Amino acid sequence: MPARRYIHSLLLTSLFALAAGGRAVAGDAGPPLRVMSLNVCNDQLLMLLLPPERITSVTWLSRVEGDPDLLAIAQRLPVNHGSAEEVLAARPDLVVAGRFTTGTTRRLLRRAGIPMMEIDPVMDWEGIRRVTREVAHRVGAVERGEELIAAMDADLAALATERPAVPVRVMGWGGASEDVPAADTLFNTLLEAAGGVNVASSVQPRGYDVEQVLRMAPEVLMRGSAYTGRPALRDAAALHPALRQRYAGRILTYPEGVYGCGSPPASRWARRLAQALREVRAAGSP
Amino acid sequence: MSRRGLLLLLGTTVALLCLLSLMAGRTGLAAPALLFDADPETQQLARLIFLELRLPRMLLGLLVGASLGLCGAVLQGLTRNPLAEPGLLGVSSGAALGAVIAIYSGAGAALPLAVPVAGLAGALVASLLTLALGSGGGLLVLVLAGAAVSALMVTGTALALNLAPNPYAVWEISQWLLGSLTDRSWQQLLLALPFMLAGLALLATCGRGLNALSLGELTAASLGVDIRRLRWQALAGTALAIGAATAVTGAIGFIGLLAPHLVRATSGHEPARVLLPSALMGAALLLAADIATRLMPFAQELKLGVLTGLIGAPFFILLVLRMKREAP
Repeated sequence: MPARRYIHSLLLTSLFALAAGGRAVAGDAGPPLRVMSLNVCNDQLLMLLLPPERITSVTWLSRVEGDPDLLAIAQRLPVNHGSAEEVLAARPDLVVAGRFTTGTTRRLLRRAGIPMMEIDPVMDWEGIRRVTREVAHRVGAVERGEELIAAMDADLAALATERPAVPVRVMGWGGASEDVPAADTLFNTLLEAAGGVNVASSVQPRGYDVEQVLRMAPEVLMRGSAYTGRPALRDAAALHPALRQRYAGRILTYPEGVYGCGSPPASRWARRLAQALREVRAAGSP
Repeated sequence: MSRRGLLLLLGTTVALLCLLSLMAGRTGLAAPALLFDADPETQQLARLIFLELRLPRMLLGLLVGASLGLCGAVLQGLTRNPLAEPGLLGVSSGAALGAVIAIYSGAGAALPLAVPVAGLAGALVASLLTLALGSGGGLLVLVLAGAAVSALMVTGTALALNLAPNPYAVWEISQWLLGSLTDRSWQQLLLALPFMLAGLALLATCGRGLNALSLGELTAASLGVDIRRLRWQALAGTALAIGAATAVTGAIGFIGLLAPHLVRATSGHEPARVLLPSALMGAALLLAADIATRLMPFAQELKLGVLTGLIGAPFFILLVLRMKREAP
């Protein structure tokens, strides 16, 4: 068995070496020309930092849902599904992968010597600053990166006066236990910046159902808008009559792509959320 | 115990389980007295929890359980096969496939009635397929045909969920294959109700014909029973009751198999006398399983099919062993 595995890896490695075709390996010599992203969060950073012609492809997920500005860019870009074959076919100068990128793809790229940087998911503003600078530096867009970060910091400063004075108790509910964002999430970071507090971050019962949501009594429910218009069974629970009755006008929708992936424009969405929370408060919650 | 005693016992058990089902929740809010609480906030919350969540869930458990129990008894009588039941014959998985297509394609959102109707159509197609494949081949061929059709329908369900535009669809596969009553609403119950009631009525009136059939097809025909009509009545009843029920709850296994066998020793072996006790037993089993899913101390709520399978599968094995012993 080990022998077979060895032959297998040898074959694959030579395959990649052929595909790499003796091209100069981009590295510290200069900024890479064309960049490919294998992770939906890195898609956002690339689309923010680089002009479209320098992006080889982004993941198909970036066309599904997210910030409307970035969605529009993603519609015009080629898309990939995170596979090694696609990287070989596209021959980018740099691959930006994430921790959740298919492990096999990552290992094969490393072996084939295709330059790759790996970005861990971030959960807070400091993390967003860090990865934005990291990617900006590597792709040679340092100025653009600093611009984005400055805009984000301006938003965060503005939020200090825009958020409701008394935090609004909020819970994310998409109709199933796995749709409830808990502690240590970017959802929490955005929510807290916007003057909310996530009731599911301190109390975590064993699984959620509608009854549990009612008993936790948040003032506002937030439902991901990722797949609106693409029905699933959980929609019936997300918008159960008992919730619609009690939370009329207090169910906000949010783009899951923005709340799940840290990039500078998240601050703009935090300001929108602050506005929405203020409006719910003004309308008079119990 | 007499059949009358059995009916009394089962009736009382079902009534108690209904009450318990209303009291059982994951949050510990138990006393229906809170519906009349002095604090308007508590009263409103209790009203939502009892009237909008637990009451439709309890009624759904009662009706779906009774449908499965009754349908199992009728199918066992009709095919004269102790292993016949909607789950093993592929009817439940066919219904789930129909409902899955209707919901995830968006048809259900545009026209809610499409969901139970598609469930019914799926159940009908699956049962026709199983009967066509398995007829005339003896006890085991029918069960084999059911297994084949069931496999086809389950695969179809998985395929439909994989192809669904909503990526969460794949997460929901367990709900369709194992069944669940969590977070169902009046709307879902009321949509399925007319179909289920019509199906229950058709199934419940099969008794006399089934009794005659138990003496053999020729004898039954000589007694004036129209066997073709009886078959279609049982088939339509099954499609209506199981199709509509499964469209709301997903496929729930083994209750249709267990219920008739559990009551037969006491109620007598005449098919007509098994029907009512079997319906009550089915309701009791499903209500009890659904209460258990809420009270088990696990992080995730167990799916109904896990519990019915834990009791049903060993029983199925016992039945197979007994058949082996009795067969030459």
